[in-house]
Amino acid sequence: MVLVGVAVGGALALVAVLIPWLPEAGSTEAVKVDDVYWFVTIICIVIFALVAGVSVYSVWKFRAAPDDEDDGSPIHGHTGLEVVWTAVPAALVTAISIYSGIVLVQVEKIPADHRVIDVTAQQFAWSFEYPEAKITSGQLALPINQPVELKLSSKDVIHSFWVPEWRMKKDAVPGIASNVIVTPTKLGTFTVICTELCGLGHATMRAKALVLTQEGFDRWIQEQKDAAAAAGSVQGKTLFTQQCGTCHALADAGTTAEVGPNLDDALKGKSAEFIRESIVDPNKEIAPGFQPDVMPATFRESLSQQQLDSLVDYLLQTAAKG
Amino acid sequence: MAVTTHELEHAGGYAAPPRPSGWRRWTAPGWLRVLWVVPLSFILSALLVLGARAALGYETAGFGALNPFGDNFFEFGTVELQVLIVVWLVVVPLGFLAGIGGFDYWAYWISGRPSRPEDHSGHGARTWKDYFRVNTDHKVIGIQYLATTIFFFVGAGLMAMFMRAELAKPGMQFVDNNTFNGLFSVHASLMIFLFVIPAFAGLGNYVIPLMIGAPDMAFPRLNALSFWLLPIAGFIMLSSFVVPDGGAFSAGWTNYATLAVHQPVGNVFFQMAVQWAGASSIMTALNFLVTIITMRAPGMSFWRLPLLVWANFATSTLVVIATPFIAGSQFFILFDRVLHTNFFNPGEGGDVIAYQHIFWFYSHPAVYIMMLPGFGIASEVISVFARKPIFGYRLMALSLMAILILGFSVWAHHMFVSGMAPWLRIPMMVTTMLIAIPTGIKVFSWLATLWEGRIHFKTPMLFASGFVSMFVIGGLSGVYLGSIPVDIHASDTYFVVAHIHYVLFGGSLFTIFAGIYYWFPKMTGRMYNERLGKLHFWLTFIGFNVTFFPMHWLGLHGMPRRVSDYADRFGDLNFIISIASFFLGASTVVFIYNMVVSWRRGEPAPANPWRALTLEWQVSSPPPIFNFDEIPQVVGSPYEYGVRGARHAVMNGDRAEVPEREKVISD
Repeated sequence: MVLVGVAVGGALALVAVLIPWLPEAGSTEAVKVDDVYWFVTIICIVIFALVAGVSVYSVWKFRAAPDDEDDGSPIHGHTGLEVVWTAVPAALVTAISIYSGIVLVQVEKIPADHRVIDVTAQQFAWSFEYPEAKITSGQLALPINQPVELKLSSKDVIHSFWVPEWRMKKDAVPGIASNVIVTPTKLGTFTVICTELCGLGHATMRAKALVLTQEGFDRWIQEQKDAAAAAGSVQGKTLFTQQCGTCHALADAGTTAEVGPNLDDALKGKSAEFIRESIVDPNKEIAPGFQPDVMPATFRESLSQQQLDSLVDYLLQTAAKG
Repeated sequence: MAVTTHELEHAGGYAAPPRPSGWRRWTAPGWLRVLWVVPLSFILSALLVLGARAALGYETAGFGALNPFGDNFFEFGTVELQVLIVVWLVVVPLGFLAGIGGFDYWAYWISGRPSRPEDHSGHGARTWKDYFRVNTDHKVIGIQYLATTIFFFVGAGLMAMFMRAELAKPGMQFVDNNTFNGLFSVHASLMIFLFVIPAFAGLGNYVIPLMIGAPDMAFPRLNALSFWLLPIAGFIMLSSFVVPDGGAFSAGWTNYATLAVHQPVGNVFFQMAVQWAGASSIMTALNFLVTIITMRAPGMSFWRLPLLVWANFATSTLVVIATPFIAGSQFFILFDRVLHTNFFNPGEGGDVIAYQHIFWFYSHPAVYIMMLPGFGIASEVISVFARKPIFGYRLMALSLMAILILGFSVWAHHMFVSGMAPWLRIPMMVTTMLIAIPTGIKVFSWLATLWEGRIHFKTPMLFASGFVSMFVIGGLSGVYLGSIPVDIHASDTYFVVAHIHYVLFGGSLFTIFAGIYYWFPKMTGRMYNERLGKLHFWLTFIGFNVTFFPMHWLGLHGMPRRVSDYADRFGDLNFIISIASFFLGASTVVFIYNMVVSWRRGEPAPANPWRALTLEWQVSSPPPIFNFDEIPQVVGSPYEYGVRGARHAVMNGDRAEVPEREKVISD
């Protein structure tokens, strides 16, 4: 029996070690979370090996012949055993709880010196506002090895912010402030994934998360500022970058998102009426290859008449140029 | 002594009363009466709404919109359509129940006409047609429940096949986002409210009165009514797919505010279906509680109850206490939509998180509602097929009660990343972890029951042992999700999809199959085909694991749940999962074929094919119309396998000396 148990346990341990069960850890928080994960895994392997060992052994050893009409031993219980399998799991889950509690406090501690970024979720896009630099972008950029607090809010329904490599996730809830603390430790491009069902475009609600060196980050901030300044008096371009660029690609505004149609192609030769209508009543005409109801129909209320005019003007000019 | 109807029945001299003839067939309870009462209630309630709206000066399409030949037929505005649908979904089901005869007895009683306490015309099934009538016999109702729930199980399973077809490759192939979201929402709702919960209620309905030595449930008419609410709830959920203007409800079975409030009108179908299914659940649970408390045979103390009865007692308590909360949560959403209240509107002081607290205060206990009866079935089956007393009977019963109590203190572990009050998380993690202890006791006790047994691996035993091993995996992944740091990473991903299917498919569904095979001979009087049963088990077991195990990996690596499209790098694994899921779906065909063919042409079943000791096996297969010719006298534990001379009960006034065991078997 012990042999069967050890064999099952060994096989499970191999499965656990040989298959990469977790994506690479890209933050200091991820390392701590992974430690909890492996701690739980070791306990689970032992328990499952025990259960599987006893099951396999019983099937093999205590299987009755079809015509065997005898009964098994009339064992009604064993107080000692019952105490053991109440007390041991109790001790194990207490250990898991205490360890999890400690790690939870650690990963959620707000460091004294940290950057704050305001993250706004809406159907079906993310936008990231850097209050110090006074810029807003559809991409999240962070300097490596510096703690950051992402303050989450939502304009419409519940969304959830998740970057798998960082292991951190939190809902963005309308009417409630929530936050995520993270210190990225791996350079590269990651994906911000919305994990709370938020409507028809839920599967497409993604944004890029860039982890850059300090120099790279400074350069990125400057680029964003320059782009905003270049837009300058052109209110339409600023509006586009903030509100539309999270879903639509447009070369002139430097946006590359693919949730909605690429406007460099889609707006070619279109009239001002068409553009205006597409913004206030997006379901009226759907570009081929896209689905209705993905673009929010709320811009008719959220944009002022003057904002709408400048946006339409900007898009009309850009379309004519292209 | 005067001859009573009961005795006539037992003597076989009692026949069903003649059915009404001529025009009276249209006013007698039944489908003909449904045919005109349902359209009538549909039209009358529509007239009421349109009339009230016209009188109060609201926008209305007018009565002309009800005329199929008019030019604005059914062209209701969004607001008016929603009001109409709410009223229809309340009134038309009541019309259906009145038509089918769910209220006849009470109507007689209320109107002062003579009621017929000894009228058992609605008792027992003589032809297959009797299964389509209001029937007060718990055995007929049990089978009605099972057939209905399997129908919805197949429907919801087909929806899962559609989803897997869409998910076999990245990108969109077969359905659009709206349909996809509708599919997973209706799939989950049907599986939970129309399959797992009522399938256990159906098995319990058939077996519990027999197990405790009672002639029927405590309230047979209430029992019939609670069954007939079920097809209504299922029909409402299914029909939401044909709603003009937006299709099926598509905010998931959790139907979170504020998304639910802004959904198209199909969402109302979920809110109303949950009310009907919930009412059915609550009435059945009350019925079980009263039956178990007051109708046990003499000598059947609580410590002599079979564990399935204990499990049903715990489950019914959970249902009665928790179900009103989901009803409440859906009413809040409905009021926000229809009456323009602001329960969940943050702009007007509403609280979005409050919905989740109310919802999970039902829906976490609902997991135990879907699990505890399975524990009970596993205990029955494992003890009988291992030919051993259940190990640690009292601790097994007490751990059920511990899960019942702890089950109410863990709901917010579904909300660790929801932005709720942070201090609530650690206490909820601790209580969640504590639930592992009674659950562990149960698993270890089942294993100890196998030890030194003489195990016969018939189909029910295969499913019961499959349940134990699969449920352990589901339980252990639950420990991962219970740990807050791991949950922060894994919540709302495919890891959760894997976890719930190991618990509800590997747990609940495997025990439902075990229960159906185990009691099939008792219910139908015929044996199922053992070979097909075993084939069904192995197809299910392998298909299930290949389908759901890889989902753990997908979730941890970044695939969120409830998406119709995903990153290309997950393509290969999703393709394998989809193939395995079709294989799994096909295994159900073997099951249904076995059930249908065996019921028609199976070998006749003896009274006690499994040599079990519980009371239901001590009567004929199928049992007499009132279960026992004479109420048995219970004299001992129900699990005394291997104890020489031990008896659970004395049947039919047999007060003679306790006979040899062999004699009991040959009965």
